[in-house]
Amino acid sequence: MSNVLTELSDTLANTVANAGAGVVRVEGRRRIPATGIVWSTEGLIVTAHHVVSRDENIQIGLPDGRSTTATLVGRDPATDTAVLRADAADLTPFTESNKQELGVGNLVLALGRPGKTVQATLGIVSALGDSWRTRMGGQVDRYLQTDVVMYPGFSGGPLVDAYGRLAGMNTSALMGGVSLAIPTATLARVTDALVAHGRMKRGYLGVSTQRVKLPDELREQLGQKSGLLIVSAESGSPASAAGLTLGDTIVTLDNEKVRDHDDLLALLTGERVGTAVPVSIVRGGQVQQVQVTIGERE
Amino acid sequence: MVSNAINQQMTAVIERVRCSLVQLTNGHLGSGAGTIWHADGLILTNAHVVQRHAPQVLLADGRSFPSRLLAYDESLDLAALSIAAHNLPTMELGSSRRLRAGDWVIAIGHPWGVVGAASAGTVIDVGVPLELPRYPGDLIQVGLQLRPGHSGGPMVDGNGRLVGINTMIAGPQVGLAIPLHTAKKFLRVHLGRASENS
Repeated sequence: MSNVLTELSDTLANTVANAGAGVVRVEGRRRIPATGIVWSTEGLIVTAHHVVSRDENIQIGLPDGRSTTATLVGRDPATDTAVLRADAADLTPFTESNKQELGVGNLVLALGRPGKTVQATLGIVSALGDSWRTRMGGQVDRYLQTDVVMYPGFSGGPLVDAYGRLAGMNTSALMGGVSLAIPTATLARVTDALVAHGRMKRGYLGVSTQRVKLPDELREQLGQKSGLLIVSAESGSPASAAGLTLGDTIVTLDNEKVRDHDDLLALLTGERVGTAVPVSIVRGGQVQQVQVTIGERE
Repeated sequence: MVSNAINQQMTAVIERVRCSLVQLTNGHLGSGAGTIWHADGLILTNAHVVQRHAPQVLLADGRSFPSRLLAYDESLDLAALSIAAHNLPTMELGSSRRLRAGDWVIAIGHPWGVVGAASAGTVIDVGVPLELPRYPGDLIQVGLQLRPGHSGGPMVDGNGRLVGINTMIAGPQVGLAIPLHTAKKFLRVHLGRASENS
């Protein structure tokens, strides 16, 4: 006997069963195990930073029941992402990813493997938005919120669409009580950087700043209402080397507006490390430009 | 439209299943749910609903019967009752062993005393939940909300076939049901062949 409900049921269960080949158990903390996403045939595993509390002795439970060890490739706490390399060479990564097709209301599945079997919760896309920055300054390519139940051990696992295509990695740690997913594009970017460098490069200026309102005439001239007043500059820092000093107000960096701390953090990307960029400051009521060579945050 | 068809199927399943859902009242202990297992008056429910008492059974057609407690297993959390009624509407049996993560199921009961209320969700897993390692069997873990009053009621698949007995919760958004295969075994052990569903 078949009807639309049993068809939906079978479709969902088949999606889970098929996608389960790319879902592994990650044992890297004292509490119950968590979940990871198979990223490459040769053993790269993407999971959540917060479920891997130790750097060594990490065990991976494979979909076929085998267990293997993994080493930590790197972690990016700012996007709650960690990359592991499992001692396996025949894994089944997700071949297709969901790009921009998801819409609010679409069905999605969160997959987990805290035990031997693949587990799943069903939900819908609750909210979609533009790129955003996490509290720790991580750049996430788009905001993707769902109402999937984050069953214990689901963090680090894949969010898939109804076709089983990877849409992102589920994490409950970036925003309390909200099921968020780090989209595939962000995972790819972070994973490439971690594989290449072992960590995420972040830019560094060496200043402490405070957001201040700009005088009316400068507002009109610059087209922004606020800037960042330098309240201290570390000696020997990139900012000091460029002559930036206490009392200067930063208004742009690399021709992008700097209105608050978030703007500045967003501009201190890894790609800008080592490059000289123009920085506009207000000094003595006048706008000046200096060249600053962005350092790297240790 | 697909969503329309889903709605119609859901409504049809729920209306059918409600006929096999009963209310159990135990005086001061409040009420729970029960599932008609056999046309000749065999009712399945949770042990924690009856608590070794024989409750009054209120059928969906409005008739009410005193019951007799036939079997009781606290560790499995199952109980079987008998009432002096015949030709009761039974349910088709599904296969709890073939449930898979992602399968659609519907739970029916009397949450907070709302008679015959339904909630639906998908199977997370069938097995021993990590938080309940001491339960002596598998549990169907489902992403739906069970509340007091759901216990003892049926969990069915998309065709309205019985796959489990609603039993408890694991967090506000996850319900646990005893799978049909455990219930069958319980009845066979305690009642022998007389328990066979008709």
